Amino acid sequence: MASAEATAEPQGGKRSREDQAAGRGGAWFPRWYWPTFTLPGTLWLVLLFILPFYTVLSVAFGTVEPLFRTPLPVYQPWYWSFGTFDTTLEKFYVSPAIYQEPLIRTFAYVFAASAICLVVGYAVAYYTARYAGKFRVPILLMLVAPFFISYLMRIYAWQSLLQPGGYVDDIWGIFAEPVNWLSGKPVTVILGLVYGYIPFMILPLYGSLDRIEQSMLEAGRDLGASPFHTFRRVTLPLSKPAILAGLVIVSLPMFGDYYTNDLLGSQNTSMLGNLINLAVFQPGQGQEAGSLTIVLMLIVVIPMGYYLRETRRAAERA
Amino acid sequence: MAGRHPMENRWSRRQFIGRAAGGAIAVPSLAAILAACAKPGTTESGGGSAAAVGLARPDNPVELPLNGDPIAASTPIEEGATLQVYNWDAYMYKKVLKAFEEEYGVTIEWTTFNNMEEGIQKLVSGQIQPDVFFPTTDYIARLVESDLIQPLNLELVPNLASNVWQSFSDPGPFYDLGARYTVPYTIYTTGVAYRRDRVDDADASAQGYDLLWNPDYTGEIAYYDSYRDAIGMALVRNGVMDPNTGDPASITAAKDSILEIINDLDGQLRINGTFAKLPEGEFTVSQSWSGDIVGAKWYLPKGTGEDVLGYWYPEGEPGLIGNDTIVIPTTAQSPRLAHEFLNFFLDEQWGYTNFADWNGYQPPFTTIDPDSLIADGVVAPQLNKAVVTEEMFTTGLVQSQLAPEVDQLWLDAWSEIQAGG
Repeated sequence: MASAEATAEPQGGKRSREDQAAGRGGAWFPRWYWPTFTLPGTLWLVLLFILPFYTVLSVAFGTVEPLFRTPLPVYQPWYWSFGTFDTTLEKFYVSPAIYQEPLIRTFAYVFAASAICLVVGYAVAYYTARYAGKFRVPILLMLVAPFFISYLMRIYAWQSLLQPGGYVDDIWGIFAEPVNWLSGKPVTVILGLVYGYIPFMILPLYGSLDRIEQSMLEAGRDLGASPFHTFRRVTLPLSKPAILAGLVIVSLPMFGDYYTNDLLGSQNTSMLGNLINLAVFQPGQGQEAGSLTIVLMLIVVIPMGYYLRETRRAAERA
Repeated sequence: MAGRHPMENRWSRRQFIGRAAGGAIAVPSLAAILAACAKPGTTESGGGSAAAVGLARPDNPVELPLNGDPIAASTPIEEGATLQVYNWDAYMYKKVLKAFEEEYGVTIEWTTFNNMEEGIQKLVSGQIQPDVFFPTTDYIARLVESDLIQPLNLELVPNLASNVWQSFSDPGPFYDLGARYTVPYTIYTTGVAYRRDRVDDADASAQGYDLLWNPDYTGEIAYYDSYRDAIGMALVRNGVMDPNTGDPASITAAKDSILEIINDLDGQLRINGTFAKLPEGEFTVSQSWSGDIVGAKWYLPKGTGEDVLGYWYPEGEPGLIGNDTIVIPTTAQSPRLAHEFLNFFLDEQWGYTNFADWNGYQPPFTTIDPDSLIADGVVAPQLNKAVVTEEMFTTGLVQSQLAPEVDQLWLDAWSEIQAGG
């Protein structure tokens, strides 16, 4: 908009052209009115994200109280020291690189668990959206039901089932040598993660598959595509945003998960979250805990960034 | 004993959940933020307590400097007060606490911490200002140096002299000569627990610490998830008779020994291995505090007799031993009542009830006779080695405060263990 025109138009008074163009109408509101609507969200973000995150930085780049070695956060960036952060990073790649294995494990477990979540979750969501008929509501209820019980309680139940002499062992024992499932078996931890997070995969997938118009699928079939091709060329692309959303929703918390491994695994299956949890509770390790948190955060920013880019592209295409 | 504590074993599952859910870095108080406006580090007086009194060891007992005077014996008992007790979770019998409330007409406010670091952190930051606190012995010197605990008036705690092993008052424990700041709470040894239905006693005695490294029990071995205790026992097992060593080679060897349990023997680091999972049968052998195996009987499944529980502790050579303390913080609102509280738990009758009916961890009372503990059914006959005697302390190996740089060696080894080696 030309500036001369903009200044000629008195602010207030009548609806500005800009407002008209944007389709905003009705009563006149002062300039600050609409932005205030973002206040609760902004406040939320500042109080519950930016401040805590700044504190993490202050702990990571801070110091320790000399006597008890409790972390002493430093809030002024000009006093920050990056020594501990550097040594923590070196533990990932400089021999003996004790954090390298946990890092690799974290990626492997999260990847495997997310993939299983996707395959199993897609099938369940597809069935529920397409074929469940009158059972649709009961199925959805059943998917949500476990949330009425604390996740930790449910994992404790798994502990009893999986421990030597438990039911799983009894059944497995019929076919093969008994296995000590709780002694640090990656498969136990991966399945634990799948168990914990799969509902978060199913719900967005269901929402998306349910919205796909029947006519689209019929069109695909009419035009000669086989059922498989219809799925591949119509259903799958249409549910792609939901697949991405589901993957992001399940994989981000998995990266930081430590209690699943705490309860179902051992040191053999330690993930990054376990290292952070440990460092928080050890004297003098506060800075390291903060540094590891930053590393984890940098890691999860990557899938998040990809997701945001993809969804923006999808929005542009639409 | 730093890190986790014997009584953490008493966590119910619910409590564990609470801890897991609340396990976050404490958000700093506003005061801490403002204090941090000064250039960090400059406001601290520290430099390690080693500089002030030297690290306390059984062969280097320390007399802690007095922070002012204890309260006068004539101080009246604070009437109708609320006594704030800050302790390990479930480390005291509710019935005994109730008896105290009734006797003095006061209210006890019970606040708990789940590990020593949390307890210390909240005390240091002033988030909790208790009348009574239960630190491990390795923190005493530092608490005095930072003026967080007050000297005791032992005239107000007569039971210490009359009912507790003399070594705890005269000359006083190595970490606090003259009992200027502390009274003992419980005592314990650290040995190996085993299932007597799977390992016989003679075999267990022959194996000793190697019970925990025996491939025959692969997948059935538990070890404490606490760095001082875990590395401490591995050191002793490897023949290093100093559970506070700063020798890097010994620490590395101990670390490798623990990794052997985890990686080769499918062992698990568990705080509840002895008191809950061994009686349930999940483990055959486990590292064990004496109080844990005494308390394990409450976890036996129906139909399993108490005689399946066994405990090995070295004979003829020194073993790991320790005790916990009770102190009165400087910020106590009712210091006189706090003295009464200390005296109450050192009382022959109440202290014994607390131990025998609830705690499993023994107080160092002269009135407790090892034989009668077994005769009274408090300790099962085959667990006689779990009874702690005064003589054991003369040769026992005590975990005590480490110099910061040594502590770091231990913690680095522990990080490596936790990362799966």
